[in-house]
Amino acid sequence: MKRIVNLRINGLNYEIALEPRRTLAEALRYDLGLTGTKIGCSIGDCGACTVLIDGVPSFSCLVLAVEAEGHEIMTIEGVAEGGKLHPVQQSFVEIGAIQCGFCTPGMVLTALAFLKDNPDPSDAQIRRAISGNLCRCTGYQKIVDAIKDAAKRMREKQGVL
Amino acid sequence: MRLPQFDYYSPRDLPEALDWLAEHQAQGVRVLAGGTDLLVDIRGKVIPDGHRPRCQQHRSGPWSARIVSSEPTDCLIALSRIPELRGISLDGHHLRIGAMVTIAELERSPVIRELLSGLSDGAAQLGSPLVRNRGTYGGNLCNARPAADTAIPTLSLAGKLVLASKRGERTVDHDDFVTGPGETVLEADELLKEIIFDLPDNTHGSAYIKLANRKALEISVVGAAAALTFEPMKPNAGGRGSGKTMMIEEAWIALGSVAPKPLLITEAGEYLKGKEFNRQTAAEAARIAAETARPITDHRGGLEYRKMMVEVLVRRALNRCRDRALSGVDHEVGS
Repeated sequence: MKRIVNLRINGLNYEIALEPRRTLAEALRYDLGLTGTKIGCSIGDCGACTVLIDGVPSFSCLVLAVEAEGHEIMTIEGVAEGGKLHPVQQSFVEIGAIQCGFCTPGMVLTALAFLKDNPDPSDAQIRRAISGNLCRCTGYQKIVDAIKDAAKRMREKQGVL
Repeated sequence: MRLPQFDYYSPRDLPEALDWLAEHQAQGVRVLAGGTDLLVDIRGKVIPDGHRPRCQQHRSGPWSARIVSSEPTDCLIALSRIPELRGISLDGHHLRIGAMVTIAELERSPVIRELLSGLSDGAAQLGSPLVRNRGTYGGNLCNARPAADTAIPTLSLAGKLVLASKRGERTVDHDDFVTGPGETVLEADELLKEIIFDLPDNTHGSAYIKLANRKALEISVVGAAAALTFEPMKPNAGGRGSGKTMMIEEAWIALGSVAPKPLLITEAGEYLKGKEFNRQTAAEAARIAAETARPITDHRGGLEYRKMMVEVLVRRALNRCRDRALSGVDHEVGS
């Protein structure tokens, strides 16, 4: 039986009727049209469906939408501000860390949360941080480079402010 | 493919959850913790009929398939909103960890890194960062897989599991909690509430080493956990120059992926008790562990290889326990 669920996504409130079996990934894509979140394996292996729940990277395919009620959710649609790409996104574009793009939304969100706690990470720390997000195109090197580059941009930006 | 239909119940506190469980003991009720195993488990899988991996017959078809799912799931009871199941607290010599503490919380806790280093090692190597962010300690224990990365150190650190039901609470050792692969002594109306560790007075160190083919998203070929407590050290005892003699007061060794359940090697622990820690005693304890382990051959590793690795890993784990007892915990994890 469907029930009313209140979700807060990218700073906006949504009230939707859902079956309890609806996963957060399905609710985002099929009920709310937020198709930036990708569904790859549906079993918590690939990380393509990563969203931030209260700032923590989480598989949206293994979280029931009803369980996400009362939490702050951020999807890839909420990363850019006012039409301007976030430094992480800008670095991914410029370094060439995107090929087919399917892993990119999850990868960007994982990187975003990681850089908040680690403003100046080593390659090894980056590789460990993205070890739950699989990419079949890039061989990861460009992604690691992009996250390093983004860290630098964010540090510089903070230095200016 | 969508998840099967089920009802969903999300109690606000522990008494409410236990009341509900007492009334709904029927089959088909599953407990939802982090969901990283359960929601994979209840999703139907498409299995081709007569499926035999890498078999000629299979390649040539004809193709037919069926959808199989695990036990029927009529209702999930979600533990995510129950405050009593959260938190890590240190009370004198007892460290209490709530069952719904996530693996990532275990991994990042400085108290656990310091006092239960082996458990911290296990948490840092479980699944991937995304699994650790959602997956819970209690979930990993109740799943009762023989390779569970937090269960092996829990066994070696003599963690006690507090099981709660409307009838009251009971405490069981980890070794008695797991009865077989995926099987525990939990009754239908019981929940794992918390895990309690009694911390030794004397110098102690613990470690868990996981051997796997990858560094993330992997199930161990062999996992070895050890915990050592030493007698108070007398400087230059034994009169052999600058080296300190370290006498072992208590020793616990546990292995993963070598038996149908996490395996406690009591023989090796008994052997080390009262002995001096040195290269020979560590090697002998490792040899006993390899002899006692009863692994099987599967796609992750052969029986002989696993036995050999048990010896190597136990020796390394014991040395790491000693190093940590002597000079504190190394903070770089995931080695």
